[in-house]
Amino acid sequence: MNAVAHGSAPDHAGNDRRALDFLAELSQALALSIDLHKTLAMALERIAEFMQAEAASMFLVDPVTKLIECRLCVGPVNITGLKVEAGQGIVGRAVAENLTQIVRDAQTDARVNVRVDAETGFVTRSIICVPLTTAEGPIGALEVINRRSGGLFEISDAVLLETVAAPAALAVNNARLADNLVEQQRMKRELELARRAQKSLLPKRRRDNFPLIGINLPAHEISGDFYDFFDLADGRIAFVIGDISGKGLDAAFLMVRTASLLRWAGKEGITPACWLERVNTELCATMREGRFVCALVGQYDRRDGSVVFASAGFPPALLQDAEGFREFPADGPPLGIMPDISYGETRLTLGADALYFFSDGITDARDSQRNRIGSAGMRELIVRHLDLAPEPRLRALIGDLKHLDLVDDTTVLLLQEPRGETAQTLLDLQFPAQAAQMRSVRARLRETLDEQAVGPEMRDRLVLAVDEACTNIIRHAYCECGNDDTISLLLKRERDMLVFELRDDAPTVDPGKIDARDLGDCRPGGLGVPFIRALMDDWRLQPGPGGCGNVLRMRKRLRADGMGD
Amino acid sequence: MNTAGNECVSETLDDYVLVRLRGEVDLSWSQQVRRAILDALGAHPRVGVELSEVSYIDSSGIAALVEGLQSAKSKGKKFDLVSVSKSVMAVLELARLDRVFAIFPDLDAARSA
Repeated sequence: MNAVAHGSAPDHAGNDRRALDFLAELSQALALSIDLHKTLAMALERIAEFMQAEAASMFLVDPVTKLIECRLCVGPVNITGLKVEAGQGIVGRAVAENLTQIVRDAQTDARVNVRVDAETGFVTRSIICVPLTTAEGPIGALEVINRRSGGLFEISDAVLLETVAAPAALAVNNARLADNLVEQQRMKRELELARRAQKSLLPKRRRDNFPLIGINLPAHEISGDFYDFFDLADGRIAFVIGDISGKGLDAAFLMVRTASLLRWAGKEGITPACWLERVNTELCATMREGRFVCALVGQYDRRDGSVVFASAGFPPALLQDAEGFREFPADGPPLGIMPDISYGETRLTLGADALYFFSDGITDARDSQRNRIGSAGMRELIVRHLDLAPEPRLRALIGDLKHLDLVDDTTVLLLQEPRGETAQTLLDLQFPAQAAQMRSVRARLRETLDEQAVGPEMRDRLVLAVDEACTNIIRHAYCECGNDDTISLLLKRERDMLVFELRDDAPTVDPGKIDARDLGDCRPGGLGVPFIRALMDDWRLQPGPGGCGNVLRMRKRLRADGMGD
Repeated sequence: MNTAGNECVSETLDDYVLVRLRGEVDLSWSQQVRRAILDALGAHPRVGVELSEVSYIDSSGIAALVEGLQSAKSKGKKFDLVSVSKSVMAVLELARLDRVFAIFPDLDAARSA
């Protein structure tokens, strides 16, 4: 309530009853209103009538200009559209101070703005003005002028007007919030449309053993990153990856424009350096100050495995071959900054190697300590999923990235020939999930590892790890209950990597709930998982295909002499 | 007891009981091993487990040994591992239990300790 001392108005019971009925009716009309403007106009007339006022008006604060504008009025003079500043005149004061203003004699009161009277010939004698108050402060004011009887307004009139103001303020505020909501939803819908339009520009995933795979993960609805690949008339494949500086809608528009330009300029199969130079010239002619585009373009010839690419300020390309990683830094500055730039080119023969192009969204991803993972983090992720084929590897990589804090759009393009069947299956066993079976499973496994010239110590360790994993499945996943339960063990070798895959049909196990005690902790049970952890390079438990059962993958890299460590 | 080359035999030598294990100690019969060890500790003050003929032991077998050690400690009794085979030793080392157990090269050393 406002800070004016009202005292108790000595109204008769009949007057109180009349006022109460009036208020109830008004509140209900406002609450149920569909057309708020109409309802408020009606309400204002009823207020003027009820209070026996010559004129009444409602002012609302413009949320943008902060001016207080007359939106509705009744009485001999139409002041709709009249604007006052906060603090100016009676209305301005009511809003600025959030306090009821009572003027008993307007002609002698310095607060009263007499301009309107002077212009219209209306004589203001007595005024009550109350603020329209919300939790966020006043949003306007309600004013009544001159008693028709010629007498002055009383304190009780001010109380009544304040009481009327409350439901009016509520109704106006609700309508404003609803408008905001509608506007927000409209914006959201349009952003979603923009996102879809943008996504449709990215090339479709090709399933015909195609050597390029791209993934784009926007940080917000719309992305400043893009990639593209397409066939050239001479049989080569052209590829593009880019990152627009800045964020938001104008970056998104620039992305659309740049992606189209790059595709158009790359269609003829000109050299990557020349390709970048053309697009740079075009972008420089039209680019707004302070904007630029980092991009890498190239061509790959599957017939001889040759790759040639040129980079305009794009993060270093990363090649992984048998010896490790190699980086190829940019060949020139980003596009759109300076015309007549010439770019260098990088040439290499791909063979079975993997070539990664990624936007700085990846290297800028933050780990749990808020540190950038950088190029080293990216390499670590690649190594973690090394035994996977290109597409599942990229998905696993993105899956890991999603657990990190991604601050920017994240895009990866991977160039690698789909692998032939380089993974060799050494053992494929299916057996009943019973402890009595394990002796023969161990024997088969020992035999297989001996054939692979794995040293006896390493062999026994690997057998122990697989045995522990199986007995965990028997005891914990199947709960030693079913007679038909089976476990399948698949052992594959890919170059120097042994991959053990155990599948079961037990209810899905939550990997987070597996007891992983420390080996230093001396108690009888729970040693299985620590053994696996100590013996294998890594292990991962996942739900089986279609969410049925579990798949446990354990890997161990062998040294040249058949030893693991 | 004998299951597929596995064997668990208890021999009493004066006040010393030696539980001789043979074969591959795994989940399929580690409960029997556990029972034999705990029974021996219930009746005698000094118990040893002979492991020279054990070619494989898994975590459930190790758990039976740990439980024997804990039971002996709580009763103020003596619990030894005797003639531990290379493969059992490797698992004990992996579990970092090689310094927790009293390990003797042979029965005489265990009995005279």
